[in-house]
Amino acid sequence: MNTTCCEPNTNAVAKRPAAAAEERVLKPAYSVDNSEHAYDVRVELPGVPKGGVRVDLHENVLTIRGERQVKAPDTWRPLHRELPELDFQLRLRLNAPVDEDKMTATLEDGVLTLSLPIRETAKPRRIEVQ
Amino acid sequence: MKLIRSNPNTLTRFSDFDDWFRNPFAAMPSFGRFFDADAFAASEGRLAVDVHEDDEHYYARFEMPGLKKEDVKVELHDGLLSVSGEKKNKTDDGERSYTLSRSVSVPDGVRQDAIAAKLEDGILTVTLPKPEESKPKTITIS
Repeated sequence: MNTTCCEPNTNAVAKRPAAAAEERVLKPAYSVDNSEHAYDVRVELPGVPKGGVRVDLHENVLTIRGERQVKAPDTWRPLHRELPELDFQLRLRLNAPVDEDKMTATLEDGVLTLSLPIRETAKPRRIEVQ
Repeated sequence: MKLIRSNPNTLTRFSDFDDWFRNPFAAMPSFGRFFDADAFAASEGRLAVDVHEDDEHYYARFEMPGLKKEDVKVELHDGLLSVSGEKKNKTDDGERSYTLSRSVSVPDGVRQDAIAAKLEDGILTVTLPKPEESKPKTITIS
């Protein structure tokens, strides 16, 4: 599962800088632990509130999008900027089919934790020798 | 509001390259520790910061995803606002921890007792009230 799929529009930006400018996204820091039963994905999304995360699974590609809502109020004047304002996007290709109905996602303190249980049929089976 | 590196005793550093030039062993903490205490600090995470102001306050914001209130320390000492956070990752095979920190120099006169800090959705916002005299004043014409 650790293959990152479809890098966030870097190529598109290079080809069509003007058109793709609005589509720029930031790839968040993430980690994946796989056990026999599930993938546990942890994605750092600082500044993204609960309503700002969208998780989609389509043709074994998991897409996580986080919209930042920490943009400074209009009355604030910037003195020094280091934090990016881009929204987050991460795409991961799954190697094993997961049980979509049992997927869970929680966002706490700017960290998204996903649990993706691997579908029963995809698990290795031990065959008893008679 | 100026930004300086965390160790007030060393000269102001201008860029990461400059930093590397002075501390080529910074990436190797075991060596770096012997040469310069600050090099060890550099091997720990340096927090990114945004500083904004309005008429009444300065606002410093830091990204601290996954940190709890109790893991974050905010201090103001000798005109230097220091923020540090201990990040703990617990896994089945053990526990990992590292510290993220950053210091920002604040103008004289910021009222220490009125500093507020809030941690929300992984973003720490420190609000520092400006000293009275630097606030814009409206003079009423009589």
